[in-house]
Amino acid sequence: MQPFNEALSLMVVGMITVFFILFSIVLIGDILIRLCNKYLPEEVLEIKTKKSQSPSNNTHAAIKAAITLATKGKGTVTDITKI
Amino acid sequence: MQEILSKLYDMTALGGFSYQVAIMWLIAFILLYLGIRKGYEPLLLVPIAFGVLLANFPGGGMGIVPAENITLEGGRYKNLFEIAHEYGIMNYLYYGLIKTGFLPPIIFMGVGALTDFGPMLRNLKLAIFGAAAQIGIFSVLLVAVLLGFTIKEAASLGIIGGADGPTAIYTTIKLAPHLLGPIAIAAYSYMALVPVIIPLVANLLMTKKEFKINMREMDKLYPPKHKIKNLKALKIIFPIVLGVITAIFVPSSVPLLGMLLFGNLVKEIGTATFRLADAATGAIMNTATIFLGLTVGATMTSDVFLSPKTLGIVVGGFIAFAVSIAGGIIAVKIYNLFAKKKINPLIGATGLSAVPMASRVANEMALKHDSGNHILQYCMASNISGVIGSAVAAGVLISFLS
Repeated sequence: MQPFNEALSLMVVGMITVFFILFSIVLIGDILIRLCNKYLPEEVLEIKTKKSQSPSNNTHAAIKAAITLATKGKGTVTDITKI
Repeated sequence: MQEILSKLYDMTALGGFSYQVAIMWLIAFILLYLGIRKGYEPLLLVPIAFGVLLANFPGGGMGIVPAENITLEGGRYKNLFEIAHEYGIMNYLYYGLIKTGFLPPIIFMGVGALTDFGPMLRNLKLAIFGAAAQIGIFSVLLVAVLLGFTIKEAASLGIIGGADGPTAIYTTIKLAPHLLGPIAIAAYSYMALVPVIIPLVANLLMTKKEFKINMREMDKLYPPKHKIKNLKALKIIFPIVLGVITAIFVPSSVPLLGMLLFGNLVKEIGTATFRLADAATGAIMNTATIFLGLTVGATMTSDVFLSPKTLGIVVGGFIAFAVSIAGGIIAVKIYNLFAKKKINPLIGATGLSAVPMASRVANEMALKHDSGNHILQYCMASNISGVIGSAVAAGVLISFLS
């Protein structure tokens, strides 16, 4: 019975440890989310917005240039809509 | 003339051929078939199967010798040059890379660099079910002890239920290295059979109503308290903090978890460390996988593999897997009894590792019952926490038994 008792106590200790560590992860993850939201600005989002604007401007310029070239300066772009 | 013919006969492998060798060849051919033709975990099953073949070519000298052969007086070991000289290159690789416990953490580093903690951070509560699914490890430990396995062997057998190949191999190296071959084969075979085992257990334990629990609708009804505003920063901080916590509470899990978290960190930092992440997931991981597979396969010589214990490992491994899945499902069911926001029990089933196959299988099952019920991201949360859970469980077993 000695090995069985040892296995049983190992089961109790093991499951408690695994639950404890994963509960800690949930708790600390939650704290980290709050801290990040409070102290770290949303740099990633800002950069994304800037980046998304610049290619958009480039695209507009490219379309305008292409239209000017194709219509030999007679055509103008009034509106660009993404389909 | 007769002498020349006799020498020629001795030169071939015909003299060492026996029915045990034939059985091992047959096992190797079946594993190769499963890996190549059926696509069951080919990256590991093919090297393991070929390692089995190499080890069982009579006279080839590629089989791994027992640890007693390299042990000297006073608990010391022969050095690697002596091992290479006396037992050949495969033993040199095995005792240098496997017996030292070097390769599993290296593979874990690559796994970390391929892991995205994003789904887990977005659904933190689901991480708990990664703990519940570790029950299979300890249940089979108990049963195996009753069946006559030593407690160290039983722990190595139970860890198959963690559904994590490198963890199973690392634990077995530390606790019962003589069972390394059969345990590695069982672990990777059952991981390949996740698409069969999860539906089997889930259909037994879940009702149709439970399969249809829609997580997105639940999120709309009960939205999370805190939305993540800066996920990139969070993903960089998380592995550092998690590494510190696990190192404090379960230091024996650090070789595996520490390397996993390091791999994840260099991936999340981005372009500044891209080359490191690229190396961890590419050249280093692939090289480690080749040597791990071949050397683990080479431990399966006929005298080691063809024993009643191997059958016990095959059966016990399956039970460990099934109980782990059942443990996750039952934990969700219990949670649902008390919570307003219901959780699809399939998310509990993915609490064992086997990332991302377990999540994909669970998602497909949910979609079968409701074509709009996409639960992949939710399953990934418990699936990734399952990797952490099984590494922690391995750490507990190693620290108590080694």
